[in-house]
Amino acid sequence: MRHNCAVIIALVILAAGCSTAPQKTAAPLVHPTWSFPSDARITERAILTARGKEYPLNGFLASSETGGLRLVVTEGFGQVLADVLVTTNGDVHVMRSSRLFRPKWIHHYVATDLLCVFGRPPLADPAVTMPDTNHFVIQRRWYSVDLRVVQVEPGPQPSNRFDPTLREAP
Amino acid sequence: MKQLAGLLLVLALAVRVSAAGPAPTAVSNAQPILDDLQHKMSSVTSVYLEFTQERHYPNLSDAPFTSGGVMLIDRPDQIRWETTSPFQSILLGNQKSVAQFEFQDGKWKKLDLGFNDVLKRVMQQMSLMNQGKLDALTADYRISAATNTSFIILTLVPKDENVRSLLPSLEIHLLPDLSATREVVMHENATDYTSIVFSNEVRGAKFPDGTFDQTKPLDIAAVKAAIKHAP
Repeated sequence: MRHNCAVIIALVILAAGCSTAPQKTAAPLVHPTWSFPSDARITERAILTARGKEYPLNGFLASSETGGLRLVVTEGFGQVLADVLVTTNGDVHVMRSSRLFRPKWIHHYVATDLLCVFGRPPLADPAVTMPDTNHFVIQRRWYSVDLRVVQVEPGPQPSNRFDPTLREAP
Repeated sequence: MKQLAGLLLVLALAVRVSAAGPAPTAVSNAQPILDDLQHKMSSVTSVYLEFTQERHYPNLSDAPFTSGGVMLIDRPDQIRWETTSPFQSILLGNQKSVAQFEFQDGKWKKLDLGFNDVLKRVMQQMSLMNQGKLDALTADYRISAATNTSFIILTLVPKDENVRSLLPSLEIHLLPDLSATREVVMHENATDYTSIVFSNEVRGAKFPDGTFDQTKPLDIAAVKAAIKHAP
């Protein structure tokens, strides 16, 4: 089974590896109109599609006006696949990675997608749309994410959650 | 992904646990407990359980992230794991195939699952466990036991170093008579863990047709109603 898992992980990593950064366009972008509370705990459910296969994931986000955004991505039963911090100055810190989500991919893609949906303001990116309230679709060249915000709990988040020095080895 | 198999195998043992009571004392030989558990599980033909899953990531949040749902097991090999809040998802499996559904935009959508082969293997192992065949566990895990007056804790440590680096240990908290499991705890590192607390267990449940249908699974409300009104 570990062999099977390795194959799947390799496929996903390959798929992610072929991805491109958020598409740049010469046309002026319309800035997203959605917003979330500056200080909140947010739970997400997402379906990652890569090479035609679908991978259900969970996202747990701590958002702080002064600290930034910290997102933990897990598989269905709780195993952490990625933990990323984006501070208010835009610096990206990979706090934890996994074989499925390598540090480089978390830095480039997870963090970018995070800012496209939850940034203040969200990054303007034509690859990201909101078909319905709390429903986002991120359509990249080699992968897509169907993301649903399923729970928003407003409230201040402890500042130490946003300290990039308190991280595990990626 | 082997750790996922471990978790599901543990869940297939189906019982309830509580962390209450004095500190447990290690048992020198866990085999009699495993034998007893195997004996008890071999007579269980089906089980309905409700669960609360708490994901503890103290580096992110003081309070755990909580979800809830139901787990159904029917011999010889049917399994349904359904999350009902804060989102809706159904994972179905047997020895031949697995299927996952997400409730989106008012209807169920079947996923073209990327973990299909892995999950199928998981379900096969769950089936073995549900028949009381613990060889699958002892092949992959070192198992130890500890007891006190309130519960028995089985601790499973993966033998494979790579798996162990991802999932150092699993704990199964069982009632002293092994009649029910109250909680499963998956330790991921020194701080992060996921606990699954079971409740409202019904053994010998008669599941209606369609409960494990991998094309159009019966709505869980109908399943619950059938179990509730069973003679």
